[in-house]
Amino acid sequence: MDTLIQFSIIALLLPLVSFVFLIFTNKKLPREGDFIAAGAVGVSLILSLYIFFQVVVGEYNPDYSLTWNFTWIDFGDVPGVGPLQIKMGILIDNLTAIMLVVVNLISFLVHVFSMGYMAGDKYYGRFFAYLGIFTFSMLGIVLADNLLAIYIFWELVGLSSYLLIGFFFEKDSAANAQKKAFMTNRIGDIGMWLGILILYSQFHTFGYEEIFQGIQDGRFTMSEGWLTAAGILLFCGCIGKSAQFPLHVWLPDAMEGPTPVSALIHAATMVAAGVYFVARIFVLLTVDALHVIAIIGAFTAFMAATIAITQHDIKRVLAYSTVSQLGYMVMGLGVGAFAPAFFHLVTHAFFKACLFLGSGAVIHAAHHEQDMRWMGGLRTKMPWTFATFTIAMLALAGLPLTSGFMSKDAILAGALGFAAVEGGLYYLIPALGFTAALMTAFYMGRQMWLVFFGENRAHLKPEDPHDDHHHAHDDHHGHEVHEVSWEMRLPLVILAALSIFFVYSINPLDGAKGWFLHVIKTPNTVVQSTGDYHNHTEDHAKASGLFIKEAYAESKSDTHTESHDAEHASVFSDPRQAAIDHATHDAHYMAIAFSSIMLLFGFGLAYVVYFKGIIDPDKTAEKIKPLYLYSFNKWYWDEIYDATIIRGSFMLSNMMAWFDKNIVDGMVNFVGSSSKWFAFKNGRFDQLVVDGAVNFTAFIIQFFGLVFRKIQTGHVQTYVALALVAIIGYFVYFFIG
Amino acid sequence: MLSLIVFLPIIAFFLILFLPGAQKQAIRIISLVAAFAQGVFSLIIWQGYDSTKPGIIAGESGNVHETFQFVERFDWINLEFGRFGTLNIEYFMGVDGLSITMVLLTALISIIGVISSWTIQKQVKGYFLLYNLLSTAMMGCFVALDFFLFYVFWEVMLLPMYFLIGIWGGPNREYAAIKFFLYTLFGSVFMLLVLIGLYFSVIDPATGNHTFNMVAMVDQANYIPGSIFGPENSLWRLVAFVALFVGFAIKVPMFPFHTWLPDAHVEAPTPISVILAGVLLKLGTYGMLRINFPFFPEVFQDLAFVIGVFGAINIIYGALCALAQLDLKKMVAYSSISHMGYVLLGMAAINTEGMTGALYQMFNHGTITAMLFLLVGVIYDRSHSRQIEKFGGLASYMPAYTFVLTLAFFASLGLPGLSGFISEAFVFVGSFSSEVTRPLAIVSVLGIVFGAAYLLWSLQRMFLGKRREDALYEVHEDEHGNAKIHFHDWKGSNDLDLREYLMLAPLAIIVVILGVYPMPILGLMTSSINQLVEVVVSYTSFAMN
Repeated sequence: MDTLIQFSIIALLLPLVSFVFLIFTNKKLPREGDFIAAGAVGVSLILSLYIFFQVVVGEYNPDYSLTWNFTWIDFGDVPGVGPLQIKMGILIDNLTAIMLVVVNLISFLVHVFSMGYMAGDKYYGRFFAYLGIFTFSMLGIVLADNLLAIYIFWELVGLSSYLLIGFFFEKDSAANAQKKAFMTNRIGDIGMWLGILILYSQFHTFGYEEIFQGIQDGRFTMSEGWLTAAGILLFCGCIGKSAQFPLHVWLPDAMEGPTPVSALIHAATMVAAGVYFVARIFVLLTVDALHVIAIIGAFTAFMAATIAITQHDIKRVLAYSTVSQLGYMVMGLGVGAFAPAFFHLVTHAFFKACLFLGSGAVIHAAHHEQDMRWMGGLRTKMPWTFATFTIAMLALAGLPLTSGFMSKDAILAGALGFAAVEGGLYYLIPALGFTAALMTAFYMGRQMWLVFFGENRAHLKPEDPHDDHHHAHDDHHGHEVHEVSWEMRLPLVILAALSIFFVYSINPLDGAKGWFLHVIKTPNTVVQSTGDYHNHTEDHAKASGLFIKEAYAESKSDTHTESHDAEHASVFSDPRQAAIDHATHDAHYMAIAFSSIMLLFGFGLAYVVYFKGIIDPDKTAEKIKPLYLYSFNKWYWDEIYDATIIRGSFMLSNMMAWFDKNIVDGMVNFVGSSSKWFAFKNGRFDQLVVDGAVNFTAFIIQFFGLVFRKIQTGHVQTYVALALVAIIGYFVYFFIG
Repeated sequence: MLSLIVFLPIIAFFLILFLPGAQKQAIRIISLVAAFAQGVFSLIIWQGYDSTKPGIIAGESGNVHETFQFVERFDWINLEFGRFGTLNIEYFMGVDGLSITMVLLTALISIIGVISSWTIQKQVKGYFLLYNLLSTAMMGCFVALDFFLFYVFWEVMLLPMYFLIGIWGGPNREYAAIKFFLYTLFGSVFMLLVLIGLYFSVIDPATGNHTFNMVAMVDQANYIPGSIFGPENSLWRLVAFVALFVGFAIKVPMFPFHTWLPDAHVEAPTPISVILAGVLLKLGTYGMLRINFPFFPEVFQDLAFVIGVFGAINIIYGALCALAQLDLKKMVAYSSISHMGYVLLGMAAINTEGMTGALYQMFNHGTITAMLFLLVGVIYDRSHSRQIEKFGGLASYMPAYTFVLTLAFFASLGLPGLSGFISEAFVFVGSFSSEVTRPLAIVSVLGIVFGAAYLLWSLQRMFLGKRREDALYEVHEDEHGNAKIHFHDWKGSNDLDLREYLMLAPLAIIVVILGVYPMPILGLMTSSINQLVEVVVSYTSFAMN
């Protein structure tokens, strides 16, 4: 076994060991065992970094991959199939190596942050145990080499998300939110599961490689519609986990969990698992499936951004922003901007984790105040938090020199390129993307100014009669807001540093020149092209031929000639993707220009409204009240689902229970009681007729008995007389007859 | 060896019979020892089992020793009827992949059941007499290879079950007991008729006589042409299949014959619910796999879709009904109906993945549902109520109980890493791979969602949040300011006590181990399942040629 595989297995299992150990022993350990959890993830992080440097830096090859597997279930010699084994294994390529570091690094930083943030909690040790099982499951998703394994870990992150959202389970809102998250994800998961079933039924394997090879060899015997369905169904898993429309409703509620959890699970890693998964199965997505993905992503990016601009809760703004950014990533995959989408996943993980941890620091310092209306002026009191939050905020908004700028622009350029190839209504996709970018800048600016600038407005908060306990608590500590301790500051600084451009590319304007977009390349589709797109995109295909020639010539002078050769040769095999890549290249500067305008406009508006106060937000909201309420109430999705799906299910369930009790069981009881009725009638019949006949016979016999008894007197004279009568009768009969 | 496993409880039965009823502890210990010995012998059999031997069908010229293991075979009843031939009933036992998994499950559940019965106070002697009789009958059903012997065990099982529910049950116990008894008896009448018909249709190739040998009945070559279930008599074969199927389906229980189950569970005492859900329900599906499908393979193929439809109905209908229940035990009972639907669906796929999933689901449902019923018993002992909406916030006060219950609930809703997932997953894999049942698989995945819904919702209502105003327990603070709870008249430990740990921990460990690495159980069954699929599939191709 390769050392890399061994290391990855150890890195995978360490957090699990920590979970199992801590869940049983946390109360008995010093510090409730937090150092064990952090230590386990720390070692995992070191191993991941080793793997990262070996694979990404050492190999520096986009096509690198390393696999290992073992037989998990052996079905023996199956009739009609032959020997059938279900394998489990590990796949390490550039995607994996990068994700390993992202997950472990953020997890480790969150562990450190939580030591400060969760200090004094009743279930402190349990919290760290839960973090362990989350890290384990997330690493499992990253390392899995087959669909069954990823589904297994997919559900397990669902479990850890469930446990952590409901960490404060005594609060009803937390208990509701955890159930909602699990249920919503399950709906997505059954889609994903059906997608897996379609592929399994064709190839009798769950392995990515075998399935891709099978499709490429044309062994997918069902119609192409089924392949499209498989792609869309698999994407359903992403819709659930990555909170895409229409299953996005769970994520904002998931903010009921402790804030470090929101940073780790519901912003940086788990919700990005959906995007990672779509990237994994990207090659088997048909064009139709990609269109669906692009539309869902773009719509989600836009819709979530419209909601984020009116929310008051600091974490909810960030939650909707996460939904929106995940929409960008999904849109990126849908439009064929594979590498930028994954790039955005990574950059977003860092800056969003930083923003969440920063908001956690603010909440912690402000004595659990989450409403931005009662914050303000924290800039001077919390300089470290302010500085790191600002950097991450700028990265989210997409300011040049930040990581977010590079990745987001690459996606938007991809969307423009896609629209150029597909034409027509598909221009809506980049349009939605750019509009979302505008709103992103606005709501982040709004949050910035509300939280960190101006006067502190804590005293303006209306008294809440139900909140006596809370006030006593606050009075005790005073309203003094102060900077958080070092274990909470350090993660912020590291994450902010990772939100700056030079980590990924030397050229701040073009990520394509950096190492990241060198090792991550759009893989070749394995779907047999039907040829439609050839005509449809002829111009671009021609142009792309030219483009590739140019690029090819250019690459001669490049140092990494071999890999470019392979890559460009493969680009020819898929004219559609080549056309999109070409159009994307053309659109690059246009995208930068557009998004810069959006950025300036959005920030400017937020500045005018929330810093200068030239426009009063409340009065404006009053003027466009329906729109404002529509946004504030999250497009009423919760209400709609509640009225339809949830109520419908309960109605159906009650109907079924009624049916069961009254109709099905009623039939049984009817059969029972009618048998009983019949038995009683039968009993009557028995008594009256059958027994009556018997008694009647007895009666007749008795009657005759009585009659004949008269004759049986016992006197000889009577007998002689009777005999005489008989003899006389005989003679009379004999002579006359 | 098998006889010993089957009749150990009968030895205990006679020992108890001669003990005075006041010796409660001795009676319990004898039963426990018998159950343990049964468990130990089952483990020995498990160790000695060669999983490459397929079972299901006899080897060369009817030699069952080639395929079955631990075979015991004697003439039992041998009656000469002159020109009508001889009535030949054998004492014939043996195991293959189908039965060994069920033997292990039965032994395990029997032990757990005895531990759970420890707190029974009413007529202890009578209770354990019946319990041991039941235990023998269950085990006998799974190892019998002679149909008559199987039928005897099947009928013997009814009687103790009837009294155990009818005497030691809840308030409405007599109704539930009689319902259970009549329903099952109704099913076994059909079985008896088919049993007789089969006897006159099948000859044992080794002796040339009519036989009740179930192994001989699998081989279609042993059916006499022109007899009632002979190969060309397709109408009567269909009738026989349906009659047998209904008999077994009542036991499963399959919609619409399921309503005895919630009543029986709600009334039955905890250990009897555990046995009922853990073992008895499996006899229905085991009977289908052992008898129904291989005896009439072509009918099975024709009706696979219909069976799958009923499986899908069970899954979704059971889950929806469970969602509406307010009694925790009734909810678990309906969840059993839902989960047994997966078994039906998996079998209807007629492929290795589906059938393996079904058989593995039988084992896993046995362990998981046993856990669930035990856990229901824990809270019922303390509060004398099972109303889901009469608690709230228990997680704060009963952490160990909450932990085990959460584990059991997640196992029940099919969380990966716990055994229920693997069986459900392969049921879906199999039923989707078969073109006949594919639409049903697509519909049935909804069961996964509803399953999560009723379990998580109950979990929330009982354990999460805060104590409800009308909760059936009181909270007060002790001198250290720690909140303690108090159940009305409960003297014991508030959280799980040692006995409860002893019942729950083994099941929990098995559920986890088999969820991570299923081969210890799944590996036993694969070659038998492959053989079974081969038997079912190949017969039709033979007929079509």
